[in-house]
Amino acid sequence: MPSSTRTVFSLIIINKAGGLIYQREYQAGLRSLSTNDYLVLAGTFHGVHAITRSITPKLPLAQTSPAITSPGGNAPVGFTYPNPGVPASGLEHLETEKFRLTCFQTLTGTKFLLFTDPMTGNVDTIMNKIYELYADYVMKNPFYQLEMPVRCEAFDRHLGAWLRGRT
Amino acid sequence: MTVYSFYIFDRHAECIYKRRWLPRPASIVGKSSRNESPAQSGPAGTGQTMRATDDDSKLVFGTVFSLRNMVRKLGGDEDNFVSFNTSQYKLHYYETPTNIKFVMLTDTKSPSMRIALQQIYINLYVEYVVKNPLSPAEHPGGVGVNNELFEESLEQFVQTRVLS
Amino acid sequence: MAAPPRHSAMLSVSNAAATPQSGSSDKSQTPQQPSTPQPTQGLRVPSNRKTIYDRHLNRSRNAELSRASFAYLFAEMVTYAQRRVTGIQDLEKRLNEQGYPLGLRLLDLLFYRTTTTSSSALSSSSTSSSPPNRPLRILTLLHLIHGPLWRLLFGRSADALEHSVSPDTPNEYMITDNDPLVNTYISVPREMNQLNCAAFVAGIIEGVCDGCGFEAKVSAHNQPTEMWPSRTVFLLGFGESVMEREKVLERAGIK
Repeated sequence: MPSSTRTVFSLIIINKAGGLIYQREYQAGLRSLSTNDYLVLAGTFHGVHAITRSITPKLPLAQTSPAITSPGGNAPVGFTYPNPGVPASGLEHLETEKFRLTCFQTLTGTKFLLFTDPMTGNVDTIMNKIYELYADYVMKNPFYQLEMPVRCEAFDRHLGAWLRGRT
Repeated sequence: MTVYSFYIFDRHAECIYKRRWLPRPASIVGKSSRNESPAQSGPAGTGQTMRATDDDSKLVFGTVFSLRNMVRKLGGDEDNFVSFNTSQYKLHYYETPTNIKFVMLTDTKSPSMRIALQQIYINLYVEYVVKNPLSPAEHPGGVGVNNELFEESLEQFVQTRVLS
Repeated sequence: MAAPPRHSAMLSVSNAAATPQSGSSDKSQTPQQPSTPQPTQGLRVPSNRKTIYDRHLNRSRNAELSRASFAYLFAEMVTYAQRRVTGIQDLEKRLNEQGYPLGLRLLDLLFYRTTTTSSSALSSSSTSSSPPNRPLRILTLLHLIHGPLWRLLFGRSADALEHSVSPDTPNEYMITDNDPLVNTYISVPREMNQLNCAAFVAGIIEGVCDGCGFEAKVSAHNQPTEMWPSRTVFLLGFGESVMEREKVLERAGIK
């Protein structure tokens, strides 16, 4: 099934305050929700994303060196994250039986949620391209107001054409 | 593979069992249950993480509950949320038809634990908790889940998983 | 004072300027000393004294600019022009006015570069083989805009050059650009769909025309096609005096 291996169902962009600013469906496969439901979903995900970061397991450091405290932690005793070199992130990939959700958060807090088929490979490539197109056609557009819903015809056009070109 | 923690939530959204493991093999430090639980145990040194753990279980439940609802909304009622990962850990989720939720936090590189959680449910939970004539039907505060057989076999189960 | 030796070690050329200053300065200025020599090595004044102003005009002819930085700059220009405007026409007028002086100045650079580097580029418009004159007839001017000016600005020629077919408007000419660089990243909101930000380029063209002595009004219009969604037509309407002069020149046989 070569077609299902690169299926992109839909894309959602959430601003740094948890508001939905973009939502497009590319291929059928998921239920379509009402605009209001999508707004709720964006807000919920925004909260869950923050919680998933806060429940990162904190591994206590050895008792012999109690003075060391990991940076950014608010726990009174020294602890370390499971992957010490990497900053703790929120949810990045979510898998279900029917789809795969990939969340990419930019350094400025905007979140891109990409819904793909579980078999779709190279999701990171797709995400990079989406980010690139967003940087080009949304952020360089003088008529786009920051944090507001994205209504950029050139962004729709280029993203749609690129995703169609892949399949 | 490393297992960080394991939670069971009943159908009343209550955490009826939780357990944490430290990465050092075969050492259980953060083993605790709800404060009012009669079966509360664990070395004295774990008191500091107690409260954090208790909050964690609520956060974990909120997370899986929201995500499960989101997934059902998008993927349809028969879709199920299997796992998610962040840069630091991976959370595995299994829900029984009776709405009991099994959650396990492992390191990011771990393979899917769906089968393992199902095995915990079938081979351990059903065998040692449900079939235990002394344990109540519901488990407020974790009563009845904290029995020796279940805990020990869970410990063993996770140990073999870690080593494999 | 311990500071000057450290500066002289850090700076190669500009320490000549920095050292006398530190020597003559009184005590009140000393706290500023460590910070003042720093900018001399920055972007604005490189240590080898080769600023963009010192560069030979022909040397930067093939120098490339970042498209992204232009896009951001232009986006700011549009945002700036959008403040306190009454409508779309007003906004286009402002963009036009921003481009106009640029056109006037560009013309000089254009002539300068075509004379010194290649006499062939404009030789069609010039009577002799040496330095090309400024265009006298409308058509030579249009070719100058369509070709050399477009290449100077956008690195390629414009896509079409047409004369108005209507007998009522013999003074109108059209230059088409299939994908204007200035509009690459711009999506105009639906409620402003009349607007074309290439009005800025129209202003440049107007400046070039005026600089050559051709009074003209230039405007940019959207003419999207399936293949070129941001296709833009620049409409050049020359003034009556220009058309009269054109007739005289035609009779005189001047090209």
